[in-house]
Amino acid sequence: MKLFGSKQTTEPKSQAELLYELQQRKERIFRTNVGASWVFLLLFLYVVFSGDSLGLDAISLDSKFIADNFAFIGKGLGVTIYISLLSIALAIVLALFAALGRLSRFPPFYALSTFYVSLMRGTPLYLQIFFFFLALPQLGIVMPPIMAGVLALGMNYGAYMSETFRAGIGSVGKGQREAAIALGMTSGQVMRRIVMPQALRFAIPPMGNDFIAMTKDSAMVAATGFVHELMWRATRQGRATFHNLEALIMAAVFYWGMTLLLTAIQSRIEARLGKGDR
Amino acid sequence: MGTPIIKVTNLSKYFGRLHVLKGINLEVQPREVVCVIGRSGSGKSTMLRCINFLEEPSEGEIEIHGLKIPAGGKGREHYKLIHEARLLTGMVFQEFNLFPHMSILENVMEAPVIVKGMDHAKAKEIAEMNLARVGMLFKKDEYPNRISGGQKQRVAIARALAMQPEVMLFDEPTSALDPELIGEVLEVMKGLAKEGTTMLVVTHEMGFAREVADRMVVMNEGELIEEGEPSEVLAHPKHKQTQALLDRYRTAD
Ligand SMILES: Nc1ncnc2c1ncn2[C@@H]1O[C@H](COP(=O)(O)OP(=O)(O)OP(=O)(O)O)[C@@H](O)[C@H]1O
Ligand SMILES: [Mg+2]
Repeated sequence: MKLFGSKQTTEPKSQAELLYELQQRKERIFRTNVGASWVFLLLFLYVVFSGDSLGLDAISLDSKFIADNFAFIGKGLGVTIYISLLSIALAIVLALFAALGRLSRFPPFYALSTFYVSLMRGTPLYLQIFFFFLALPQLGIVMPPIMAGVLALGMNYGAYMSETFRAGIGSVGKGQREAAIALGMTSGQVMRRIVMPQALRFAIPPMGNDFIAMTKDSAMVAATGFVHELMWRATRQGRATFHNLEALIMAAVFYWGMTLLLTAIQSRIEARLGKGDR
Repeated sequence: MGTPIIKVTNLSKYFGRLHVLKGINLEVQPREVVCVIGRSGSGKSTMLRCINFLEEPSEGEIEIHGLKIPAGGKGREHYKLIHEARLLTGMVFQEFNLFPHMSILENVMEAPVIVKGMDHAKAKEIAEMNLARVGMLFKKDEYPNRISGGQKQRVAIARALAMQPEVMLFDEPTSALDPELIGEVLEVMKGLAKEGTTMLVVTHEMGFAREVADRMVVMNEGELIEEGEPSEVLAHPKHKQTQALLDRYRTAD
């Protein structure tokens, strides 16, 4: 290949180049078609659900209900995100301690960690949520609804996430620790400066997945009736006026949009993290 | 001769039932370069790792620059001594072990800042000086995954030097390298030797040993069986295990 070729000399392309271009073109065409199909599917859904225009009464959505309740249900999105953020923060802290406990040689700490993880993973999240809302008050422990929801979600996800952290810490080679120790670092410094940054980098993609999953699992908190997030608002308005279809579709669109946005953010972060790696 | 930089007395090491080091005695004097040779599994790495306590010695005593640390110690005092001894030794590993999440410069600055509490500007100055010493200053802003194996090992050497240790320990620093990259690392090590750096080097590079080492020690099944001037040991090995080892190197070449 020429580096500074002038434009008018069109050299014949090599076989490999041609094949590569062909492949690229195929890939582009495939992606375009997938995109077009998505648009079509969305349009289809839109047409079907605005049934009026097709004369289909069964699936016509009440646009007045949608307009009237958009703000009310939409407000739940903020609550959903708020709960999810608090819960993920709690989950990260718990996961960190649980992962360290699991790596510890101090029996009580190790036991506490395995006990916690086992209990949280061995019972349904749905049950845990109700436990915090309904069972604890029986013992005289009453807390603000949001706090109960955050505790349940955070503790549950913390247990799962601790495995991610543990894998992350395990992914840091022995040689890394030894190099740091040989340089005179204390075990705390080795953990903070060498092991944790690498473990976190390893754990961030799965943590992103957990966070996205949590935003949707937070809908379960609605079942207790005390936290006025997206799902609670949608079901309440839907039931009250017999507009469950509209209300749930609205909630679905909100959840879906949020998930798409979070996924986009996540792939951005991953692309950036990829840089300095190994 | 004054006080030795390293004095290993009657060092033994067991891994469970496995008796890996069997009463090693070794001294390294200031500005001396000592090469350790021996077949695989003879305990060379274990000896080096005992000297900076990456492995706890089972018996005997390690003395670094006057700091005496007997085997089997426990408690605060003991670990404080170990910490001090580590500050006096720099270690270079076969596998480089650069920190992948830090730039080359950060790799070298890390320990002076974190361990010694040196201020940033001073640490940077020392790091750049040592990177220049190994010819790697031009890559200071790169990340380790972007440089070759030989370059990584040179950075690892600079990282150890930045702590300004009294002695450098090398554990087969060129064994993980492609043949064409070995030379640049050995050149750097020769340079250090010329500057009077005290070095204890486990190596299979006989050419390097002959040219640079003041003394060569031969390890066999956890014992030092022979020591002397490299040219003397290489030309007239006294021990038949040494002879066998050298024969193997010759046929390998
Ligand atoms: N952490 C460990 N646990 C158990 N056995 C070990 C451990 N480290 C080393 N050994 C054993 O101790 C012996 C000496 O190992 P060492 O790594 O010191 O040899 P070496 O001379 O450095 O060999 P090489 O040239 O292959 O690096 C070997 O038999 C090895 O299997
Ligand atoms: Mg070895």
